[in-house]
Amino acid sequence: MSVRTLFIGMDGATFTVLDDLTRANGGEPVMPFMARIYAEGSRAKLRSTPNPLTPPAWVSLMTGRGPGYHGVYDFIRAEEQGDEVYFTLYDARDCKVETIWSIASRQGKRVCALNFPFTAPPPAQLNGINVPGFIPWRHLRRNSYPDDIYERLKSIPDFDPQELAWDFEREKQSVDELSDEDREKWVRYHLPREQQWFKVAEHLMREEQPDLMAVLFDGVDKLQHQAWPYVDPRLQHNETSGFHKRMRELSLSYFRQLDGFIEQLVKTAGPDAQVFFASDHGFTGSTEVVRINAFLAEKGYVHFKELPEGEAGKRRDSTNFAFLDWSKTTAYCRTPSSNGITIRVARKPGETGIDPKDYEKVRARLIRDLEDLKDPETGERIIAEIHTREEVFPGSAMNDAPDLQLVLRDFGFVSVRNLQPVVQKRDYVIGTHHPDGVFLAYGPGIEAGKVLGRRHITDVTSTLLYSLGLPVPSDLEGKVPTAMFTADYQAKHPLKIGEATRGSGKDEYGETMDDEEKQQLMAQLQMLGYME
Amino acid sequence: MSNLRKNTPIATVTAVAADLTQDWGLDPGTKFAPETLVAADLGFTSIDIIQFCVALDQSYGTRFGFQDLLMKDGSYIGDVSLGQFADFIDSRLQTQGTPA
Repeated sequence: MSVRTLFIGMDGATFTVLDDLTRANGGEPVMPFMARIYAEGSRAKLRSTPNPLTPPAWVSLMTGRGPGYHGVYDFIRAEEQGDEVYFTLYDARDCKVETIWSIASRQGKRVCALNFPFTAPPPAQLNGINVPGFIPWRHLRRNSYPDDIYERLKSIPDFDPQELAWDFEREKQSVDELSDEDREKWVRYHLPREQQWFKVAEHLMREEQPDLMAVLFDGVDKLQHQAWPYVDPRLQHNETSGFHKRMRELSLSYFRQLDGFIEQLVKTAGPDAQVFFASDHGFTGSTEVVRINAFLAEKGYVHFKELPEGEAGKRRDSTNFAFLDWSKTTAYCRTPSSNGITIRVARKPGETGIDPKDYEKVRARLIRDLEDLKDPETGERIIAEIHTREEVFPGSAMNDAPDLQLVLRDFGFVSVRNLQPVVQKRDYVIGTHHPDGVFLAYGPGIEAGKVLGRRHITDVTSTLLYSLGLPVPSDLEGKVPTAMFTADYQAKHPLKIGEATRGSGKDEYGETMDDEEKQQLMAQLQMLGYME
Repeated sequence: MSNLRKNTPIATVTAVAADLTQDWGLDPGTKFAPETLVAADLGFTSIDIIQFCVALDQSYGTRFGFQDLLMKDGSYIGDVSLGQFADFIDSRLQTQGTPA
């Protein structure tokens, strides 16, 4: 048995940066192996989910379904109960559709998934290995599959779970405004972390030879959040400071290292393996802060609650969850990462929120108010796009979506804090998510040097299944980009559409109770908030 | 996990807590008893509490809705004992019946 399909995820990777790093510029490119993949493989821009964010986007990539069906919209889920709002965490059990790990596994393919978000807690059954991402080291053993895999990983030389796993205290910095010193530390922190995942991937690929080997490098996203001014080729100028030059070189060393890991993984997979790369979204620069709840307060939809005095107040403010007077608030943004507006609808008499019969009218007025938020100097709309959930999240899980999905003019994430002014220019450009990520393919049967039109993130699932020689389930939203594959390969491997996916997240995770039982707790997931 | 289900809630809660923390480097004399406080005695952070609740859910194949234990009047309470977790599970099992 040998690896048939190797999938390398690069969280937040964008052609804006990769194109620059694969260019020779008179010498060796920063990413010479990626340059080879450009030359010998196929690539396309990859359109992310309507909110280009890790949770909905990676879950779409893993399921081939949009958030309207899989139901994962954000890091944090809010449950409204009367005048209380509980903020809870999404996890793998919230995904309402079958994952590629399950689809491939139940058809006899051995899979190995490393560092993917929302793969914890682990499924009840899997033909292979799952070591989840976005999990603190203290919980990695319990959330890995099978039970003995964590002990096996300890046999890898220099394996360090604390270096490998998600550190919530550190990760919260990804979207803070940091000092120069902290930004440098931030970039340095990701160098050994990626090396840990690389070593685990290489080790398991050699030992297991799974049919589908998949590993996610998430440092690309984290680095770009803080180091965007140093990696965006459009922001490089001759008169840069010593710090800028040092940060650029440090950032390039990250990509140089990643390129080496990729080359080694491709070699380890062997010459017969098809290799695919994708990101959950792209990247660009955000230049302004938009305090959306402060704006909604001006319009009478939001009523802020007084923060407690002292440290408790500071802690609460830093949580980045909306801290509101729920008895008066009718429409609000829950978290910065959501970029969405939730309208509170009274489900029964006496509950706060608008009357259900007024929903359309209130939503239309809200859209008009949001459209009216304009740059006073240019008259340009601050919120470039406003989508209703019916437009962008059609599906059986639509009711869990925000009522309105916003796209800011600079693609930034909103702030939910009670601060003024509503729109403020940032001191410096920070990285933010762009809807266009990357999709690349390389290896036998892949067209060389081909650039395709933009594909959709759900296409990745179908493509990986096709590469594995499996039929693509009829209910997947994504299509196989057949132009990526040579005519000869397609002739020998005709695309088959098979039976629909089975089960749901619940079935995969062996739950037995109904939706009313769905409550876990929440706490300080402020670390995952997208701060100003 | 099936063995845990056959235990009493306090036996399950203490077993899950001991399993969860086995490689955290806790003092070897750490007790896992009904009066053990998860934050003060076991060093749980909020993320650890979330993971503990998920582990308990997994042990029983359900979701208990632990926010009803951990939140009072809209705020999260400071610390919880293993015995309180067990009592909460016990009361939920009485209400819901034993999960399949």
